[in-house]
Amino acid sequence: MAEDFVIEMLHITKEFPGIKANDDITLQLRKGEVHALLGENGAGKSTLMSVLFGLYQPEQGKILKNGKEVAIRNPNDANALGIGMVHQHFKLVECFSVLDNIILGVEPNKMGFLQKAEARKKVVALSEKYGLRVDPDALISDISVGMQQRVEILKMLYRDNEILIFDEPTAVLTPQEIDELMEIMRGFKKEGKSILFITHKLNEIMAVADRCTVLRKGKYMGTVDIQNTTKEELSRLMVGRDVQLQVNKKPADPGKVVLDVEGVTMHNDQRKKDSVKDVSFQVHAGEIVCLAGIEGNGQTEFIYGLTGLEKLSSGKITLSGKDITRASIRQRSKDGMSHIPEDRHKHGLVLDYTLENNMVLQRYWQPEFQKGGFIRSDKVREYSDKLIAQYDVRSGQGSSTIVRSMSGGNQQKAIIAREIDRDPDLLVAVQPTRGLDVGAIEYIHSQIVAERDKGKAVLLVSLELDEVMNLSDRILVMYEGEIVGEFDPKTTTVQELGLYMAGARKQGKESENK
Amino acid sequence: MLLLIKYTLLYGIVLMMVALGGMFSEHSGIINIALEGIMVIGGVAGVLTLTMLPAGMPAYLVVLISILAAALAGMVYSLLLAFASINLKADQTIGGTALNLLATAIAVVIAKYFSTSGSAKLNYSNKAFLFTVGGLEMSVFVPLGFVLLVISFILLYKTRFGLRLRACGEHPQAADSVGINVYKMRYAGVLLSGALGAIGGMAYIVPPVQTWNFEVGVAGAGFLALAVMIFGQWKPFHICGAAMFFAVFKSLANIADSTFLAQLHWSSNIYNMMPFVASMVILAFTSKNSMAPKAEGIPYDKGSR
Amino acid sequence: MNKKKLSHGSLNSSITSVLAALLCILIGLLVGFLVLLAINPAHAWGDGFVRILKGGFHDAPYGVGKELANAAPLIMTGLSVAFAFKTGLFNIGAAGQYTLGAFGALYCAIMLKLPWFVCLLVATILGGIWGAIPGFFKAYFNINEVITSIMFNWIGLYLVNELIYQNGTGPMYDVRNTRTLNLSKDPALSKALIPDLGLNKLFQTNSTTIAIFLAAVVAILVWVVLNRTTFGYELKAVGLNKNAARYAGINEKKNIILSMAIAGALAGFGAGLFYLSNVSQWNPLNSTSLPAMGFNGISVALLASSNPIGTIFSALFISHISVGGSFLSTKYYPTEISDLISGIIIYLCAFSMLFRGKIHALLFKNADKTNVNAEPSPAEAKTTKKEGE
Repeated sequence: MAEDFVIEMLHITKEFPGIKANDDITLQLRKGEVHALLGENGAGKSTLMSVLFGLYQPEQGKILKNGKEVAIRNPNDANALGIGMVHQHFKLVECFSVLDNIILGVEPNKMGFLQKAEARKKVVALSEKYGLRVDPDALISDISVGMQQRVEILKMLYRDNEILIFDEPTAVLTPQEIDELMEIMRGFKKEGKSILFITHKLNEIMAVADRCTVLRKGKYMGTVDIQNTTKEELSRLMVGRDVQLQVNKKPADPGKVVLDVEGVTMHNDQRKKDSVKDVSFQVHAGEIVCLAGIEGNGQTEFIYGLTGLEKLSSGKITLSGKDITRASIRQRSKDGMSHIPEDRHKHGLVLDYTLENNMVLQRYWQPEFQKGGFIRSDKVREYSDKLIAQYDVRSGQGSSTIVRSMSGGNQQKAIIAREIDRDPDLLVAVQPTRGLDVGAIEYIHSQIVAERDKGKAVLLVSLELDEVMNLSDRILVMYEGEIVGEFDPKTTTVQELGLYMAGARKQGKESENK
Repeated sequence: MLLLIKYTLLYGIVLMMVALGGMFSEHSGIINIALEGIMVIGGVAGVLTLTMLPAGMPAYLVVLISILAAALAGMVYSLLLAFASINLKADQTIGGTALNLLATAIAVVIAKYFSTSGSAKLNYSNKAFLFTVGGLEMSVFVPLGFVLLVISFILLYKTRFGLRLRACGEHPQAADSVGINVYKMRYAGVLLSGALGAIGGMAYIVPPVQTWNFEVGVAGAGFLALAVMIFGQWKPFHICGAAMFFAVFKSLANIADSTFLAQLHWSSNIYNMMPFVASMVILAFTSKNSMAPKAEGIPYDKGSR
Repeated sequence: MNKKKLSHGSLNSSITSVLAALLCILIGLLVGFLVLLAINPAHAWGDGFVRILKGGFHDAPYGVGKELANAAPLIMTGLSVAFAFKTGLFNIGAAGQYTLGAFGALYCAIMLKLPWFVCLLVATILGGIWGAIPGFFKAYFNINEVITSIMFNWIGLYLVNELIYQNGTGPMYDVRNTRTLNLSKDPALSKALIPDLGLNKLFQTNSTTIAIFLAAVVAILVWVVLNRTTFGYELKAVGLNKNAARYAGINEKKNIILSMAIAGALAGFGAGLFYLSNVSQWNPLNSTSLPAMGFNGISVALLASSNPIGTIFSALFISHISVGGSFLSTKYYPTEISDLISGIIIYLCAFSMLFRGKIHALLFKNADKTNVNAEPSPAEAKTTKKEGE
């Protein structure tokens, strides 16, 4: 085939203990194209790119550059071939300066002594050429996420990389920064650089890519020309069946006010500003209210304040008529609040405990499960077995499984089982389906809707606009710690929400695009 | 007064060198609790070499060879920590504690084997190590220590090696992703701590006396050096200051009776306590802004992303 | 069906732990033997290795009595470290807590002339306070408990030595013997001695008391608290995941301090057992080394994989080889050989995870190979989605 492929990954297989992350995958990148790599969580996209970048060695398969076979044993080899990577979780040393991070590994030196002057000149030149504004002497810990990503990009350009890999680059950017990034990528394309771009976001692929390769559960599903395809076709390739993009639910029938948030403000000492500013809203029984917004706009802090993990600077929170502003976490739990936390490993589970011990994490002190300080292990086992059966939580040894060995989806289901079974008046669910596959997502959505239909109040926090639109009865958009708009999913669009999420508009105030 | 300076320098240089060793190890990401043990090993190796060198050897050679022997022994011993922590990903505080316990036992066994008296005491001549400058008696370790201090600073902040070392202790994944061999760098950090700690051990034992009972090890100096390192926020010149600060108390413990402080009638126990109390106070105030290397103590696993 | 799997799983892990410990012991003993050979090959077996292995039995019954007397406080310091480990903390401060406990016991015995169980109680309380301090610094200042404990080990040593010695004139101090007053030499002080119920006669010693039984009972109590009570559940949760414990409404600051206090109390109790059995007296002139009992507790805990019942056995073992080391013919070998062996054993324990993994793989080849990552396939999940509705 007389194709002009700059990189070919042929029949790559990469295994880890117990799982085949890449199973006979072939990927071919043309020179000067933007090639998207699409797949759900766990599809093998990051692994494949890590192989290309030399972080992993494949068990089988080979890589060709410009038709010649090459061996990439480590990032240095990849660099030598002109391949660079911007990682999803930035690989930047926080206490080093921008310049130090860029030159790390390829430091200009005289007999081992650092010579930074020439490096600085090159960095400044590159940043001007591609419009990547940075301050070479700023410390990484002091600059914004968007700027940190620019440092990662400069790392690649400094090394004269021609093949650029981006791993989920837009997850941490505002819509405006995303547009800027797309422009930068088009700029690279004009220079003849070739781009590989990992994502699970269909909109971005349609906007900027030339072709797209789809992976599912480690296997190669196909490569399509973006011009000739649709979002539906891409998503079908990604998931394997027609995705139920709508959640079926009856209209809401809200009752009395369960949660009343008045003027809540929270201060962040480290950043020296308010992370949550004067937030007020209500959640009624039988409705799902969603806090929507880009990550980092105060949702996390607000939830910490609501559940008691952090203190408020000012404001009042009332639950079913009772003032819980100063209440302890245990007290809020007793008063009818359940919390499905954002980070299941950090807050939701004690990974080294058994499943049954995690099932009673919120209830072990109740008379049902202990007597005189001694745990009633038979009752604990009974309860855990019941929840496992009811919510279909899968594990190696049932109730006595160590939770660490369970899959993410089942761990999340265990948390959901525990929090819902407590029959709370208010269910606080933060990113309940993050990192889960479609089957688990659908199940969890149905549980949440079931709670609402039972007359419970649900406060949902989500970053996925599809989930926000499908599940909520009311949407509150948060931007920079404030509620900037309230919407009905039936009458708004994702585009409109996006504008508010980016701070371009505010209900009650129209402000210019920043 | 001169006496105070003499003892302060003596003890301070020990604390500084050992703390610098700990600093290198921790900057690479490995917590080194075994400094106490490394000091003992360095001490016994250096002293033993000293006793075995021929009598007529010129002073500078005596000093050179015995210090090199100590450094070598320290590096070999620190390999045990490096191997356990880096290759086997063992818990670093447990490994370090084990090596401390082991070191004293090893030192006593060796000392008893070579000792003429059947106890763990070794006798040696420290003449080669001492000299006088304007009425102030000093050991060669003092200028050596300051030279090592300057070298440490330059190595850490002005060389490629130092930049990479620090990257491994702050964010090993970042270092790995730019092609740095994190395992090799960490070995380097631990070996440096082995060398510096061992020389520090010799500096503790040799200058003040001409006989040493290895059953006492180094009486907690290695742990005090850890405090110095934390107090000095892992920065070379700050560590020097912290070391001298602590050393003042230690020398007061020895000589307080002969100064105006004798009127307080404080026993040496009280002076000995003070550096530790002072560290706790300082730690309490600075813990929020600690500059500890972010990734220290966490074994690096290439497979984890 | 589930019950069978449970006992299978935890039994496997216990077996593996014991085998891993035995492996560490074997290697440690082997290296010790090689060292004996290196020092003096001719006598390495009979006068060397065998004496270490026989331990106290070399000079029974006296040696055995000595072993038991030393094992009691060792069980306690082992429990101290093990308890802290189980709750996520490294109690390297056992030596300092032991020191404070010793002071408490001796002060009550010599100055206040109180009966033994009161002295033991005070020893326990003082140890607990000394343990709570690093806990406090960790909970409220987030300072690593290892550093704080090390600092307070030395502060404790100097403090106690000062209180006892007082420039040679301290009331608890016996100038002639440079130690604290001997409890058995003065009838006024003898009610502070722990009763021996005839054991001293049996073993022909003067320091073998019921201490060993007291220690074993405490070990069992600790096991019960850790594994069967809500208190233990909370402490372990805080140790395993501070954040999740907080999320669950557990006051993690309070629990960290409590854990360290209990660990300290256990070490203090151990000191009480030692000094009130009059195994030896305290030497306040020794300001250069901390009580070895405190650090050997770390060895005991690691060897027992922090299992409270296991500490009984590992303490007996370490005491056994220590006493064996003391019987080595000093003509040929230093008694520190047994310290060497202990040191090697715990160095190996530091990466015992590795051993455990390999042993488990070797022995339990046919262990359950369930795919723990199985997600429910859409057809099986009954209550879930309404496909195509």
